[in-house]
Amino acid sequence: MGLVKETTSGIYNLLLGLWVTFKHLFRKPVTLQYPDERWEMPERSRGTIVLLSDPETGELNCTACMLCAKACPVAAITIERKKDPETKKNYPTLFTLDTTVCCYCGLCEQACNFDAIKLTGKYEFSVSDKSELLYEMDFLQEIGRDVKYVKKKKAAKKAKKAAPKKDTGEKSAEKPAAKTAEEKKEDSNEEDKAKDKTSGEPKEKGPEDKTE
Amino acid sequence: MLELRPIFDAIGEFLNSILPEFWVTIVSAFGTGAIILGVASVFVLFFVWWERKVSAHMQQRYGPMRTGWHGWLQTIADGVKLLQKEDLIPRDADKLVYLFAPVVCFVAAFLAYVTIPFGEGLIVQDLNIGILYIIAITTFTVVSLLMAGWASHNKWSLLGGMRSAAQIISYEVPLSLSLIGVIMIAETLSMVSIVVQQEGWFWNWYVFRQPLGFIVYYIAATAEANRTPFDIPEAEQELVAGYNVEYSGMKWAMFFFAEYINMLTISAIAVTLFFGGWHAPAPFLDFIPSWIWFVGKCLLSVFVLMWFRWTYPRVRVDQLMAFAWKFMLPLAFVNIILTGFGIYLF
Repeated sequence: MGLVKETTSGIYNLLLGLWVTFKHLFRKPVTLQYPDERWEMPERSRGTIVLLSDPETGELNCTACMLCAKACPVAAITIERKKDPETKKNYPTLFTLDTTVCCYCGLCEQACNFDAIKLTGKYEFSVSDKSELLYEMDFLQEIGRDVKYVKKKKAAKKAKKAAPKKDTGEKSAEKPAAKTAEEKKEDSNEEDKAKDKTSGEPKEKGPEDKTE
Repeated sequence: MLELRPIFDAIGEFLNSILPEFWVTIVSAFGTGAIILGVASVFVLFFVWWERKVSAHMQQRYGPMRTGWHGWLQTIADGVKLLQKEDLIPRDADKLVYLFAPVVCFVAAFLAYVTIPFGEGLIVQDLNIGILYIIAITTFTVVSLLMAGWASHNKWSLLGGMRSAAQIISYEVPLSLSLIGVIMIAETLSMVSIVVQQEGWFWNWYVFRQPLGFIVYYIAATAEANRTPFDIPEAEQELVAGYNVEYSGMKWAMFFFAEYINMLTISAIAVTLFFGGWHAPAPFLDFIPSWIWFVGKCLLSVFVLMWFRWTYPRVRVDQLMAFAWKFMLPLAFVNIILTGFGIYLF
């Protein structure tokens, strides 16, 4: 009896295996055909760093305040600056990011008060020569042209308007660099709302920016 | 309607009208050889690609996708690559045997096609000992594998060659015995006569009179072709690649070719002996040419072999031998005895 039972269960299991592979034959493959298809990167993914420009004027948001360079734990950012004699504002003359040492920690983005530097979901930056990994200002600006972003200050203001009870008296709303964990959550919510508005009515953005 | 036989008849008549009889024989011999070689090569190219696709999709991958539509040119690209490869001969190799092993393997794989009827009248030579001839010729492969394993002067290839010799010779016994049932019913060894006897509806096919024989044949044939679950001669994880470790370039390709040709041979024999050869499953489907039925059935059988390969794990050497001698052989004998009783009673 044992032999018969073993044989039948063996045959059953062999057929079961065939059935499983047959089912899998018609399933959609899980492979992503990489150069043809790409994942949509999450909004807050920490990929290549870019310099953001003002969408209206096309000029860099960077004021060369050196906060990002100081925040950088591996000293990947080098900035040289000059002062505009007319407007008395600083602007960077040199901004290099050494991606060979960059650890993509995102501290520069958190440190920036002027929406000038951002980690993006871009990731295809392989080069054949190591020297090309030293990103210059123009290149950083160029790859950051199409990056959409929400102004930190505006988001903070909106947050004040939307929820005045919570945010009143808190200094950190104006300094998003030093956010606590709770505030971060709130902030991201507000950012989403602000983003909705800006995308719906892009023309309103101009005058508001100037007043700021 | 679209039968190929009239075309060949017309070619034969044309040759007869312009050439003396002696030359007609020569030309037709080389011609049929070239046609068989060409058709089989196309099938092999297709099978390699197909196997890669089937295995990939069973594992939820795509397989080759870059060369042509869904990678259909992949095998051709591989062939071009193999042609450019350096042809290495190990220093201590037995050069003559080393050089001849792939040739023997290749020729042995192709010789079986002499007696396989691809369609109505599409047979090179309808030998009256057809099955016997095929069984004898396909076993020739084992000689080439031993030659390759021995001549390479490499322990992995020697082990692979020895294993394949042991395996193929063991499984040859149940394989031959499993076909005896069909021969007893058909009372002939000629492939064409066996196919003709299975005419009509599909229940005339011998698989329904010889189910046990068919199962034994198919399992033994899978072992004969060194395919998983019986692929210990080339068990990659233990033996690197088995008997062909030291081969490179086109010599390796010839072994590879022979392996896939053997797959088609197994399927063709299974179709001829058990699945009615070129006959349609129902008489009203006869309007489809016979060679399409034959090729279709062969492809289905090849798919089943691939299906086995990508489902089952490999058996151990001792399990393999035990299975052949303790299970398959008695089963084949039981089949012969049952067939004998059946013939006596009906």
